[in-house]
Amino acid sequence: MSRDLRRAIQLMVVALLALPLSPVSALDHDNLDPNRPIGMEDAYAIPKGEIGLEGGVRFNDRREGRTRLTFQPQIIYGAFDNTQIEIQGDLFTEPRSVVGANKSGDLHLGVLYNFNTETLTLPAFAVRVEADLPTGVNSTGVDTQLTGILTRSFGRLRVHLNAGYTMIGSPQGQERPGAYRAVAAVSYPLGYPMSFRDTLIASIYTRQSDLRGQTNHTGVEIGIRHQLTSRVVLDGGLGTEFVGPSDRAALLGTVGVSVGF
Amino acid sequence: MMNIDAFMRCAATVITATIVLALAACSQFEPRDKRFYYRALWNFSLRDDLAELDSEFNGVDFGHSNLYEHLLLTGGNDVSAIEDKARQETLAFIATKPRLNPNEEAIAPTYMKLAWRAQNTFDEAHALHRATYDIVVSAEPDKDRAIRTVLAYYQDSAYAITSKRLDHRRLDQFAYSKAFRTRFPLFNATIWSYHYLQVAVYDPLQSARDLAAKTQAVRPILATYRHYLDQPPVAWTFMPLTAELSPIFAARYPELANIFDNLHMLHDNISDILTSERLPTWEAKRAEIYRVLNTYYLASADETNPMILGKSQEHHHE
Repeated sequence: MSRDLRRAIQLMVVALLALPLSPVSALDHDNLDPNRPIGMEDAYAIPKGEIGLEGGVRFNDRREGRTRLTFQPQIIYGAFDNTQIEIQGDLFTEPRSVVGANKSGDLHLGVLYNFNTETLTLPAFAVRVEADLPTGVNSTGVDTQLTGILTRSFGRLRVHLNAGYTMIGSPQGQERPGAYRAVAAVSYPLGYPMSFRDTLIASIYTRQSDLRGQTNHTGVEIGIRHQLTSRVVLDGGLGTEFVGPSDRAALLGTVGVSVGF
Repeated sequence: MMNIDAFMRCAATVITATIVLALAACSQFEPRDKRFYYRALWNFSLRDDLAELDSEFNGVDFGHSNLYEHLLLTGGNDVSAIEDKARQETLAFIATKPRLNPNEEAIAPTYMKLAWRAQNTFDEAHALHRATYDIVVSAEPDKDRAIRTVLAYYQDSAYAITSKRLDHRRLDQFAYSKAFRTRFPLFNATIWSYHYLQVAVYDPLQSARDLAAKTQAVRPILATYRHYLDQPPVAWTFMPLTAELSPIFAARYPELANIFDNLHMLHDNISDILTSERLPTWEAKRAEIYRVLNTYYLASADETNPMILGKSQEHHHE
């Protein structure tokens, strides 16, 4: 295990231990948001009127290059019926080496709109529109992203498909002007019929590389969300990329917390 | 040749347009419309300060959803599946004394897809129930104002159940009525025991001065409720009513009492619909649940609702 990776894991453990353990109150652990803990989401917005504070630490132990940490603070708000708005600002270690749409310190604004709830014949559909404002390190243009989301359940197993396209406002050097991303994921509540506090999530994804001429990042992730108290959900996840550029992830890991009130 | 960027943009536009058109055209299109509970300092006071009672309500949440899922999946005619399996699962969950309310979409994924609008109506009424318990248990100095505030918040929703008195006798005389209690008397009595607990605690909680007194005041009711779980009161012929078990609360907040009684009557109607062979398909059950909900229960139907009792009319319970 590399020194960078050990340090990353130590930081994540410290972050987890610092979480509030007394009842404070619910982001529903079965309502899946991106990066909490893996890069997928379901088609449902948080309830109208709810405010969520989310945060996490993600490490990316790359096959080439130093391990990178990302801090992921986020505010989400159920602003309207079936609509949530999000404000986020990821912070990376080694911010000057980051390429692609999401630069360290960019102000990220997003809106998720859920068209419908799932019925016996219809899956749930949602659309997400996002913009990254160039407030971050080496960031020059406004990047935009459009994602379609589908959720369909089979018994307690829920299947989620996410497909999105990112347009880079001002690509630099060999950066692509745009890139697509596709995720297929499943989630399953653990413990029925005696416990309802954990949801297991697994995904497989592919996304175009940030730089032209490189192969897609393709990998798998698995994570769990745990309802700690009425208001607090903890999450943790692991992943790896088995196809991609030479600096693709050997091991990805995330720990985080969501507080709803 | 079209490059990949142009292709992806074109594909995204086509997919989005297809989804929008498909949803608009589909009779099963339903908005989700989840609404957060009224945010206040007294949120979760019951959970924090009177966990013994709160955990019983968490068990009640499990019981309703687990029943509906089993009724739907077994066609409402498998006595053992309901009276033994589903009921025992419910009692086992209650026995765990759950600290948090369960995820009802994980308990009843099929029922939620069948009748989300009805479930969302239940969710909002249950949130009102919870809010009133929280207020009564909390240190909120003006409980009366707080209760009226959460009532107004509830009534602002399109999913609010009417606060008018409904004719429960007539609501229990549809062609399929009483199917559930006739075929599954044990589970029906268990459901009525939940409703007993939900409304019987109001007067003792309101009359007790402090938390210690409130804790003591609900103990006899909890003991009675647990006895009912062991030996379901199958001799009862109608569900418990708020005015009978908490008359002071019902007199002070008649709108709340009516909402809770109507909520419990709606539970009985849906149990009957899911049980009855007169509605043989899931589509027919869904249509009837929505007809009953939209016509007789939602406050939005008040002006045309034939089940609303006049001021001089009494309930006609058996």
